[in-house]
Amino acid sequence: MEEFVGEIWHKLISRQANTDFANATVQLDPLQSQLATYYRALGGAPGVSIDGADERVIRTHRRFAQKLAGSHLRFAVAWQDDRSLRLPVKLAFFEDPELNLELYYWLTAMAARLPRMRHWLKDNQRATLELFEHRPKLQQAYQRLAEACIALRPDPSTLKDSLGERERLLQQAILQPGTVDELPGAKGAPNPIPLWIYPPPWQDLMVETEDDLDDQGEGGPQEQPTVEGSRKQAKRFDDSKQTDGLMVFKLEALFTWAESVDLDRPQEENLDEDLEGAAEDLDIITLSKKRRAGSSNIKFDLDLPAPQNDDLPLGDGMKLPEWDYRKQIMLDDYCLLQPMLNDEALPEPIPEELRAQAKILRHRFSQLRPNKTWQRKQPYGDEIDMDAWLEHLTQIQNTRQSPRHQNFYKHRNDPQRELACLLLSDLSLSTEANLNDDKKVIDMIRETMVLFAEALSGSGDPFAIYGFSSIKNKQVRYQMLKNFNEPYGDEARGRILAVKPGFYTRIGAAIRQSTEILKMQKAQQRLMLILSDGKPNDIDRYEGRYGIEDTRRAIQEAKMAGLQPFCVTIDEQGNDYLPYLFGDQGYAVINDVNRLPQMLPKLYLNLTGLAG
Amino acid sequence: MNSSVLNYLPQGREVEIFTHAANNKLPVLIKGPTGCGKTRFVEHMAQQLDRRVYTVSCHDDLTASDLVGRHLIGADGTYWQDGPLTRAVREGGICYLDEVVEARKDTTVVLHPLSDHRRILPIERTGELIEAHPDFMLVISYNPGYQNLMKGLKPSTRQRFVALSFEYPSPEQEVVIVCQESGLDKQTVQQLVKLGNDLRRLKDHDLEEAASTRLLIYTAMMIRSGLPAAEACRVCLAQPLSDDTETLAALEKLISGHF
Ligand SMILES: Nc1ncnc2c1ncn2[C@@H]1O[C@H](COP(=O)(O)OP(=O)(O)O)[C@@H](O)[C@H]1O
Ligand SMILES: [Mg+2]
Repeated sequence: MEEFVGEIWHKLISRQANTDFANATVQLDPLQSQLATYYRALGGAPGVSIDGADERVIRTHRRFAQKLAGSHLRFAVAWQDDRSLRLPVKLAFFEDPELNLELYYWLTAMAARLPRMRHWLKDNQRATLELFEHRPKLQQAYQRLAEACIALRPDPSTLKDSLGERERLLQQAILQPGTVDELPGAKGAPNPIPLWIYPPPWQDLMVETEDDLDDQGEGGPQEQPTVEGSRKQAKRFDDSKQTDGLMVFKLEALFTWAESVDLDRPQEENLDEDLEGAAEDLDIITLSKKRRAGSSNIKFDLDLPAPQNDDLPLGDGMKLPEWDYRKQIMLDDYCLLQPMLNDEALPEPIPEELRAQAKILRHRFSQLRPNKTWQRKQPYGDEIDMDAWLEHLTQIQNTRQSPRHQNFYKHRNDPQRELACLLLSDLSLSTEANLNDDKKVIDMIRETMVLFAEALSGSGDPFAIYGFSSIKNKQVRYQMLKNFNEPYGDEARGRILAVKPGFYTRIGAAIRQSTEILKMQKAQQRLMLILSDGKPNDIDRYEGRYGIEDTRRAIQEAKMAGLQPFCVTIDEQGNDYLPYLFGDQGYAVINDVNRLPQMLPKLYLNLTGLAG
Repeated sequence: MNSSVLNYLPQGREVEIFTHAANNKLPVLIKGPTGCGKTRFVEHMAQQLDRRVYTVSCHDDLTASDLVGRHLIGADGTYWQDGPLTRAVREGGICYLDEVVEARKDTTVVLHPLSDHRRILPIERTGELIEAHPDFMLVISYNPGYQNLMKGLKPSTRQRFVALSFEYPSPEQEVVIVCQESGLDKQTVQQLVKLGNDLRRLKDHDLEEAASTRLLIYTAMMIRSGLPAAEACRVCLAQPLSDDTETLAALEKLISGHF
């Protein structure tokens, strides 16, 4: 009985407290893609994706019933950073679902005008005015939203002192944007304004404090919160911003590596002679998946990852030579290359933020599928070649000679795509470096690989994607991400998205192996695209001149095999050594790394077009 | 609008540059997105210089014979007929090859001896070697968009041309152009151009082709002839640019902010 009463009591209270109109709910999910397009059309940055916003704590002045029911402590408000725009996952703010839908579009439009939030109160009003300036009908839509919004807000005259004054000014700012510059200090944060964009949660200190939002100072960026409580909140909302922990981790990793440089730096190490140099066809995953069976006789160094935590090695690995420029000899069977497959990566769909790009690339590349062409002057064929016939007639007239050939037909032939491409990505630890606050080099490499794969799966050209890193000559880790035979899909994409940086860059061996794989492709033009972030290096002597010379040698071998190697690097110093390695037409230094994912497919077109 | 005189509103110094190129007997290359006024410009310049234009829209089945000429069969056997290029070379007109990258490379090699100081056209089939008329001018255009990257022009070909790069006109200019071409009132056209510029931001990411000046003119013409503005935008601006329902929904929303 008591329980029953409690339940009723709870229902009663929460109904009164809940100001959402559940029947009018509009979900973000099905709108995400069109909102993203809308965002870009209004000037939002193309790379920004749209995600759901978590609820966050906003300490408003609550009604007694709301306090009891415990609701309204947390609100989902819209905010954005460089990477994404976060919108509430559902909107049920208005009674009319049309208005809730309209609100999604409105917030998206506002966000497109507010890439950086400096001053919550002023910036929101300014953005509103800017949107009106060119779009009269949008102003009308806003007016409806604004009025509906005011109707749901407390009547300022029922609020005490500065609370009432602040609410009055906010309502004025909503109805007549651009007319309110300042708010009086008042207790708690004002009721959330659903039409406005909020600063990111980690900047959100001001809304929580007694102080008013205007304390953020004129135009300057907001200070980072220093109060313990708000920092916790930030953690909850966006863990990608919690770099502190990560930094410690990375420094540790670096330290370990630095140590191992000192401790263990032999100048010459031959592989155990008893290793079978199995020259298996690497590019076909038919190898038995003997999971983590300490299968080979390789002595794992301390600095190798523990086998049970590592990707699945495919076979026992293969021995490859390396060029020693000092002795001017090829050291046969010097490197052990270990093909690897991350068989634990889950299949992944295209990440939301890449979807639009991927679609366009695929479409564009599909237009490049070769068309059927007419072959002229054939001895037989589908149609008479009138030009050839006329030419024949005029030749008789001109020269009075009988025709030597009777090739008067046109024949439609099936196109042969004569192109195969292998993309080899540097996955060494240096790619863990930060590009900016949100992204690391490895993130760009991942995105590049995905977009490249999407593009090529549109064109129908056979392609493969491998990644590599190394731990001295004893383990050149050669990650199979997508081979030539496997159709590209969620599985391969899952592997690409799961790549992790680690270890060093013994690129020569990786190039040699890629050469072997590409050589087996029948296509006329065989392209090896190498994606890198710096010079060859490893913790043994493979660095400086030694590494460069071996790499150069491996490139030359690839060229001799009739392949076309090409290097794309983000290393600003690339211009110093790449001409020596690849020739001055054989590489590209990308200055704006953010453009790398889009650049690579373009480059592919240029490269393949040159030969066409 | 007087149809015998083509309106052309210069975007920059292209009229002067083209005139200088013509005076110096140099060929001209015009690059720019679809519908930004390349063809209109060439036709306008031809009027200014009082030369005839021979326009060839290039495609991948275009053969050298389509440009140079071919033998035909008549009552008295075969006879030779000049192609548009040969006519321009003989008579002294402008030969305008639109979307030249669409043509196969073996087709465009006939342009080489014409586009350098020799200014000659050898006709293999008849054994004739024609020296170009002093008023002959070669003009080629293409859209350096994504689709054409693979085809691109050979550097050795591009080297021979004076190159002009076109973009969509500035909003102020575009308003003048669209008003002029459609006869629609200025206020509506201004709104239309603003919408057009919202749409152009979607190029590359969401749309393959941006809303061209040409499409804005079509839309304006439809509005002027009585179609409600929002509907005209839908059928002339949104639908032609995309087939994707999500994208179309966003375009629709965008339009509703303007009209
Ligand atoms: N600068 C301009 N002055 C006058 N009309 C223009 C101008 N630019 C574009 N137009 C109009 O736009 C239309 C499309 O231009 P067009 O020359 O056919 O484009 P393109 O050849 O670049 O694809 C023309 O018919 C013309 O009405
Ligand atoms: Mg044209």
